[in-house]
Amino acid sequence: MTFLEWRKFNFFDINSNVDKGNIKSALDDAQVRSMSSGNGQLVLGDSQGSIHLISRDFTVHTYKAYNIDVTHLIQSRHSSKLISIGNDEVGINPLIKVWDLSKPDRHDNPTCIRISRSVPQNRAVVVTCLAVCESSNLMAVGHQDGSIIVFRGEIGRDKGSKQKVLKDGNQPITGLAFRTQDKKTYLFVATLSNVQVYSIQAQDMKLYLTEKSFGGCTKRCSIMTESNDTQFVIAQDKAIYSLTIEGKGPCFVVDGTKEFLQCFRSHLVIVANDTASNIPHVRPGHVPGGHTVTVLDINNKFIVYSAMQAPVVGAVAEWGSLFLLSKDYNLHQLNEKDLQSKLSLLFKKNLYDIAIKIAKSNHYDKERLVDIFGQYGDHLYAKGDHYGAIKQYIKTIGRLEPSYVIRKFQDSQHIEKLTEYLAALHKAGSGLGQTTLLVEHTTLLLNCYTKLNHIDQLKHFLMTKDSEVDFDVNVAIKVCRQSSSEAALQLAEKHGKHAWYLKIQIEDHARYLEALQYIGKLPFSEAENSIKVYGKPLLDHIPHETCEFLKKLCTDYKPSNTPLPDLNHDTVERAQPDDFIHFFLDHSLVLVEFLEHIINYPSREKCSTQVYNTLIEHYLCLWSTTSDTTARETYVQKVMRLLSSDGIPYDKNQALLLCHSHKFSPGLLLIYKERKLYDLILSENISRKDYAGVLSCCRAYGSQNPILWQTAFHKLIKDPDVPGHYLSEVLHVIEKDKLVSPLFMLDALSTSSSVNVGLLRNYFLNVLGADSKATETEVSLAEKDTKDTEKLKSLVQQIQSKPVIFQGSRCSVCNETLELPSVHFLCQHSFHKHCFQSFSESDKECPACLPRNKDILDIIQSQEPNKTLNEDFHRELVKEGDPFGVVAKYLGLGIFNKLTLVTNGNPKRKIQSSQSPSTSKPQVKPLPSISKPANTNPFEEYDESKNPFGSSDNAYDESLNPFS
Amino acid sequence: MAYAYLFKYIIIGDTGVGKSCLLLQFTDKRFQPVHDLTIGVEFGARMITIDGKQIKLQIWDTAGQEAFRSITRSYYRGAAGALLVYDITRRETFNHLTTWLEDARQHSNSNMVIMLIGNKSDLDARREVKKEEGEVFAREHGLVFMETSAKLATNVEDAFINTAKEIYEKIQEGVFDITNEANGIKIGPQHSPNNPSLPAGPQGSSQGGGCC
Repeated sequence: MTFLEWRKFNFFDINSNVDKGNIKSALDDAQVRSMSSGNGQLVLGDSQGSIHLISRDFTVHTYKAYNIDVTHLIQSRHSSKLISIGNDEVGINPLIKVWDLSKPDRHDNPTCIRISRSVPQNRAVVVTCLAVCESSNLMAVGHQDGSIIVFRGEIGRDKGSKQKVLKDGNQPITGLAFRTQDKKTYLFVATLSNVQVYSIQAQDMKLYLTEKSFGGCTKRCSIMTESNDTQFVIAQDKAIYSLTIEGKGPCFVVDGTKEFLQCFRSHLVIVANDTASNIPHVRPGHVPGGHTVTVLDINNKFIVYSAMQAPVVGAVAEWGSLFLLSKDYNLHQLNEKDLQSKLSLLFKKNLYDIAIKIAKSNHYDKERLVDIFGQYGDHLYAKGDHYGAIKQYIKTIGRLEPSYVIRKFQDSQHIEKLTEYLAALHKAGSGLGQTTLLVEHTTLLLNCYTKLNHIDQLKHFLMTKDSEVDFDVNVAIKVCRQSSSEAALQLAEKHGKHAWYLKIQIEDHARYLEALQYIGKLPFSEAENSIKVYGKPLLDHIPHETCEFLKKLCTDYKPSNTPLPDLNHDTVERAQPDDFIHFFLDHSLVLVEFLEHIINYPSREKCSTQVYNTLIEHYLCLWSTTSDTTARETYVQKVMRLLSSDGIPYDKNQALLLCHSHKFSPGLLLIYKERKLYDLILSENISRKDYAGVLSCCRAYGSQNPILWQTAFHKLIKDPDVPGHYLSEVLHVIEKDKLVSPLFMLDALSTSSSVNVGLLRNYFLNVLGADSKATETEVSLAEKDTKDTEKLKSLVQQIQSKPVIFQGSRCSVCNETLELPSVHFLCQHSFHKHCFQSFSESDKECPACLPRNKDILDIIQSQEPNKTLNEDFHRELVKEGDPFGVVAKYLGLGIFNKLTLVTNGNPKRKIQSSQSPSTSKPQVKPLPSISKPANTNPFEEYDESKNPFGSSDNAYDESLNPFS
Repeated sequence: MAYAYLFKYIIIGDTGVGKSCLLLQFTDKRFQPVHDLTIGVEFGARMITIDGKQIKLQIWDTAGQEAFRSITRSYYRGAAGALLVYDITRRETFNHLTTWLEDARQHSNSNMVIMLIGNKSDLDARREVKKEEGEVFAREHGLVFMETSAKLATNVEDAFINTAKEIYEKIQEGVFDITNEANGIKIGPQHSPNNPSLPAGPQGSSQGGGCC
C-alpha cells in the first residue's frame, strides 16, 4: 500500500533529548497521563497527581494538583489558565480544577481558582475527554458512558456556571471539540462508532444535532485542525476522515493503527503503531515496537515528515516547534525547516509545482514567488514542455524581464506559446509601467496573431480594451494593416486615429466614398487636414462627391454626425479654397464647379488671387479642350466677365500669360487694352489675321500712338492675304500724317512680295505731289527773301550815302506834336526828349525799334563762336531725349560752319552811340550812323542762306535729313 | 454563504479518467495536466444558480483505485448526484462502468441522479469509445449522458449544472425526501419556511434541524 501514499519530503529536523533529562528526573517514577501546551509552556500531568510546567529553557516546575492522578489537561493558549481533570480520592470521582498560573501561592505554586465536579446524572463516571472553548466560555467533558456535560460561564469562576448534560447512546465519548463559525458554536462529539455535530445556542444552551456520521474513532484519535477551513479530523485504521459542520469532508488514506493525532500549524501529526506489515524493508532508525510519526501537510497534500520513533506518549506544539515526548520521557523537538531550505530541497528534485504550492501557502512574497515560477519555467523549458513553461512564465509577468522569455520562444515553432505569453503580458498591461511593456511587445504580439492567422483573437485583443488602451494604437494599427486591414480599420475608427483610418480606407481598400463620409463626420480642423492629405486620391476617384464636400468645407462646414446646427456658432470656420486647388489637377470641370460655387457663395469673404487665377486658367483650359461651340461660348463669356469685372483680384500678368498660352484672343485683347499695350493688340490682331480689328485698333489708338500705323503697315505689307482696302486705309493715314518716309515705303514695297505698285501708286503720287508743291513754295519763298534782301541793301546804301531827313512831326511815344527838344533816330522815329528819357531804357537806341533790334542782335550774338558752345552741345546731346533736335539746333547755331563773323569793334560803336543821345540840341546833333561801319549793321552781313531759321516756315524735307 | 439548497455530489469512475480534473475545472476553472493520484476522497464546492436559487454543490471526488474502493463506498450514501466518468480513449474504463454503476446503486439511495460522462473529448484522435456507445449505455441504464473535456472546459459546467437541475426538478416533484440528509440534499439557512416551491408535507418537521 505504500505506493499509494502522498509525496514524501523531509521538512523537519529532529533534535533529540532537548530537555537534557529534566523531565525524566521531574517525573521520577510517575507516568505521564496528560499533556498540553500553551501560553509559553508545556504542561504534563502525571499518574501521581502532579502537574509539571516546562518553560522555554526546559526547566521543570512541579506542583501537586491532585492526590491521585491528573487525567486531562488543557492549557489555555493565551491566558495563564490551566484546566485540569484528575482524581483526589480513590474511586471514580473526577474533579475539574482551574489554575491560574500567574498567581502563585505561598509555595510558589499556581492558585486553584475553581473546583467543580463532573458528575452527570448523579453518578460518577470516568471522564474520557475534555474540550474548552475560551471565546464562548464553554467547556465540555465527555464520559465513559456517553454522556457529555457542557458548562457555560466564565471558566475561571464557579459561580454563575450553568451545566447541561447530553446523552446519546452508551458509547464512551472518545473525542470532543468546539468549533466557532459564523458566530455559532458547534460541538463535535466523537465516539467509537460515529461522530456527531451539535450546534450550541449560547442563550439557552440548547444542543441540536446537526450532523451524524458513520464511523468513530478511538480516544485521542480526533482533533480540530487549525487550518483555515477548520475541520474536525478523526483517524481510523485505514484512513483519516475530516468533517465539517456540513458533514463529511475529504478523507486521506493513511494506513496503520493510529495512536493519537496532533495538530501543528496547518499540519496534521499522526502517531501510528509501527506495524511491520507496512514496511517492506527495515528503514534506518527503525525501532521495533515503536511508533511512526507522520506529519501531513493537509492543504498541499503531501507528507512533510515521516520517521520511525521510539514509542511516543505525547506530542504538543509550542514555541514554533513540535515536541514529542517519548515513552522513556525524552523530549524530542521537531523543527520545521525554513522555507528557503524547503524550497531548495524541492528545487533539487525539480518539484517546482510543489514548491510553488508551499510558497503560496506560506504567503511567500511575490518577488520570490516569481523567481520560483521563473525557475519552474526554465525547468519545463529544458524538459521540452514549452507549453507548461510558458504558463509559468506568464506568472512571472511584472517581475521577469519579458525579453528573457521572448528570446527563449523566438523559434517559429513556439509562436503559439509566445503569443499566449504576450497576450498575458498585455492583459497584465497597464499596471506594469512603461519599462516592462514595450511597443515592441505589442508589435510582436500582433505579428504573432497574424502569423497564426488568429484574426478573431486579434480582433478581440484589439477591440475589447475599451477603457484603458494598454498598447500603442499606432503600432497596433500599423501591424494590423499588414495582415488584416479590416481590423486595423476598426481599430483606427475606434481610437479616432483619423489619419490611419483614412490611409487604410483609401490606400488599402480604395473605398473612397466611405473615407469621404468618414471625413465628413470629423470636426472642422481635422476634416480640413484630412482632406488636405487625401483630397487628391479622393478627387481622382469620386470627383463629384469630393467636390461637394470641399464646397461645404469652404463655405459652411458642419460635421455630418452632429444632427443640429449649432445656433451659437457665429464664427463659421471655412477652409481656404486655395489649399485644395492643387487636387483638381486634371479635373478642370469639377474645379470650375467648385470655384464657381465658392466665388458665388454669398456670405463669403473675398477669395484670393489664386482662386481667380485658377478659375480663369481652368475656364481657358476647358475652353480650349471642348469642341462644343455653345460651351465654348459660355466659357468665353465667363472668362470675359471675370477679366473685365472690377474688384476681382486676379493677377493680370498671370491672366495674360494664361490667355496667351491658350491663345485666347478676347482675353488677350482685353488685357492689352487695359494695359494700353496697343502694339500688342495690333500684333495679336494681325496674327489672327483680323484685319478689321487691326484697323479699328489703329483708328482707336493711332492718334495717341502713331507708331501703330507704322507697325500696322509693316505687318500688313508683309502679309499676302491682306485685303487691299485695309492696306489703302493704312496708307492713307500714313500719308496723311506723314508717318513713314517714302523711302521706307519704297523699301517695304521692294521687300514685300505681295504688295504691288498699284496699291502704292496713289500714295506715291500723293507724296510726290506734296513734295513738289513744297518745293515750289520754297522756291517762291526764296525769291521773296532775295528781293527783301535787295531792298534792305539799298536801304542801307541809302542811309550810308544820303542824308536823312527827319520829318517826323509826332513823338513816337506820346504821339503828340513834336516839340523841342527832340530826339531823332535814323529809323525815322522821333521823340520828345522828355518822352525819350522817360520811356527809353538806354539813350543809344530807339525804343521803338529796340525789341526788333534786340532779336536780331541776339541772333547775331548767338552766331558768334562761343568757346563753351561745344561743351554745351555735348552736354545737351547727352541730356536731351531728342538728339536729333539738339543736333539740328546747334547746326542752326553754326557750330559746324566756319562762320566768319566780322566783328566791327564794339568800343567804337559805343562811342558812337554815346555820342548820339548826347545831342542835346537838335539839328546839330552828329549823325552817329555815318561813322558807323557798314558791317556793324546786323542786317548787312546777314546771309539768309546761312540762317537755318530762315526757311523755318518751309516744310521740312525729310529726304534731306542726313540723320534719318 | 447563504444558499437555498446544498446538493452533495460524488464523482466516480476508474482511475485516471479525469475525475479530479473535472472537479478542478468546475470549482477553480483551471486545468492541471499533471495531477497526483487522489488518495482517498477530495472535496470541492461551488455555488450555482438554478431557477433563480442559489445552490451549493458539495462535490466529493473519489479515488478511482480499486484499493480505495472500500473507503469511497462510504461516500455514496449521502450523495444526491453522481458523475460516473469514463475515458473515451481507454475502452476498459468504459467496460468497468457496469461495476461502478452496480456499486453506486447498491450503496446509494435509489433516487440518486447519475450522469454518465465521457471525458477527454479533446483527444478525439485517440478515441476508443464512440459517442454513440456512451449514449446507448446511458439509455439502457437510465442515465444522462454527456461528453466533456476537462482540459478545454467543454461541457464541464453543463455536466454539473444539468445534474443539479435534474435533482432540483426531482425535489420539485417531491421525489426526494429533503428531510433525510442521507439523500444528499440539505435546505440552506436562507431558505424561507413558507416557500411555495417546497413540497408542503415534510416542511414543518424539516425546519427544526435544518434552520438554526
